[in-house]
Amino acid sequence: MIDTVREIETAEGISLRLRAAGALPRAQAWVLDLLLRGVFFIVAMIPLSIFGVAGNGLAMLLLFALMWAYAVICEVWMDGQTPGKRALGLRVVHADGTPVTWLPSVVRNLLRAVDILPGVYGVGLVSTLVDPHARRLGDIVAGTMVIHARELPAGQQVPAMPALPLPLVLSADEQAALVDYAERAGQLTVQRQEELANLLTPLTGLRDTAAIRQLVAYVNWLLGRA
Amino acid sequence: MKQERFVALHGKTWDRLQSWLHALDRQPRRTLRQEQALDFPAEYRRVCHHLALARGRGYSHEVTDRLQQLVQHGHRVLYRPPPPRWHRVATFLLAGFPRLVRAQWRCMALAAVLFYVPALAILLLLQLRPELAHTFFSSAQLAQFEKMYDPANPHIGRSSGTDLQMFGFYVMNNVGIAFRTFASGLVFGVGAVYVLGANGVLIGGIAGHLTAIGYGGPFWRFVAGHSPFELTALVIAGGAGLHLGLTLLAPGRRRRGPALVAAGWVGAQLALGAFAMLLVAAFIEAYWSSIASLPDPLRFGVAGVLWLLVLGWLWRGGRAVRHGA
Repeated sequence: MIDTVREIETAEGISLRLRAAGALPRAQAWVLDLLLRGVFFIVAMIPLSIFGVAGNGLAMLLLFALMWAYAVICEVWMDGQTPGKRALGLRVVHADGTPVTWLPSVVRNLLRAVDILPGVYGVGLVSTLVDPHARRLGDIVAGTMVIHARELPAGQQVPAMPALPLPLVLSADEQAALVDYAERAGQLTVQRQEELANLLTPLTGLRDTAAIRQLVAYVNWLLGRA
Repeated sequence: MKQERFVALHGKTWDRLQSWLHALDRQPRRTLRQEQALDFPAEYRRVCHHLALARGRGYSHEVTDRLQQLVQHGHRVLYRPPPPRWHRVATFLLAGFPRLVRAQWRCMALAAVLFYVPALAILLLLQLRPELAHTFFSSAQLAQFEKMYDPANPHIGRSSGTDLQMFGFYVMNNVGIAFRTFASGLVFGVGAVYVLGANGVLIGGIAGHLTAIGYGGPFWRFVAGHSPFELTALVIAGGAGLHLGLTLLAPGRRRRGPALVAAGWVGAQLALGAFAMLLVAAFIEAYWSSIASLPDPLRFGVAGVLWLLVLGWLWRGGRAVRHGA
């Protein structure tokens, strides 16, 4: 299956799910960072212009810091996020899901110089498209990846209803499918809910709205509600 | 155990952990001083256990997703990087960096050959055939070099600008070149080879041309002071790039991925060391080399001492002190 989720087993014996971020949100974050740095530089030029020619030197030092140090400092101190990445809900982490540290951040940001080649991020774009975890060359060498930091909305609560015991024993998969149905029913149209519930007429013996209610009642029993 | 009972039993633990993690996001220092911070690792592992149970028992997404989110957040906090320790910067510069350079001596030697051989060859060639300078540089470039190092110029090595302005310019320009040299090494080392060779030709060409037309005095007096740091840093950055490229070509007994990660780790440290050296070089270049009134013996004496210091630092720095038997 084509999936951008990377599962990592941790020392605690559970698996973390890192959802790799593709080229598009990362490009958006980069443009946002670029604009932010541009505006900051222009605003900073105003007080620097008081110093005259010496201000030029300070401006170049500032430009240097914005070009090379900005991303590293933001990533290390802001939990793997530059302001642009934060706005887009992205985060840089090590391949094992731990927060990014100094040296890997330095590596991935220095190697930007290669990824940015032909035109604007030509190498980087090809690399993110080829790599299963959408890493650019800098990420591969640094051992890092960019993930979506925002969590997906968790499943909705199953509507509470007087529980009804199931008339026959269902396998674990079948039970899970029923619970999933009840959790997601709120996101579906009534027609679609009925269409799905009607598939289980042999189980419920009912159709349409009554079938939905019956299934939700079964699920309440499965979840252990009174 | 049914899901509802499981939630009723442990829901409080999850809520407590969640609110603590949110407080940590908002006020990191204060939250870490709370007593609950001591319980965090144990509590986190308990929640991990709950997630594994919930998965194994096939509980619904309502519970597993919630626990999964909690655990991802906790993982990020438990395995956060330690705060930076500033004394390690000093240890690195004094001991770690020279050690690393010596460990990579093959790449460093190769980089030095790639840089110094073309530079010296062009320098000598231009003494024998001065007219060849026009094949390396355009007339406009030559005119600019001649203006910078004109013996009549009160400020040597630059046509205009104050010390601070030139410091900013040197930092941005030279460190940018060094970082790009390192990064371009990833392209099978070709980039690093090209940048080293091209800079060798450029620097050798300027030196050769100015010496040949008799402007050698100001030129050598200007570059003597900062060259030990600047040229050595360029070679080190190039060597780090070569190391990266050679690892990609011939990873040895490791798989390419892990070998590249290890090479990147080494390369980043070398690039940071080169960055520190170039800061020193830019400082010397802006504030010391440009003083025209310094007597020559002092100038070249200091340059000699600096060369000895740099080479001695790279050669001996970080060696284990041998205690008497």
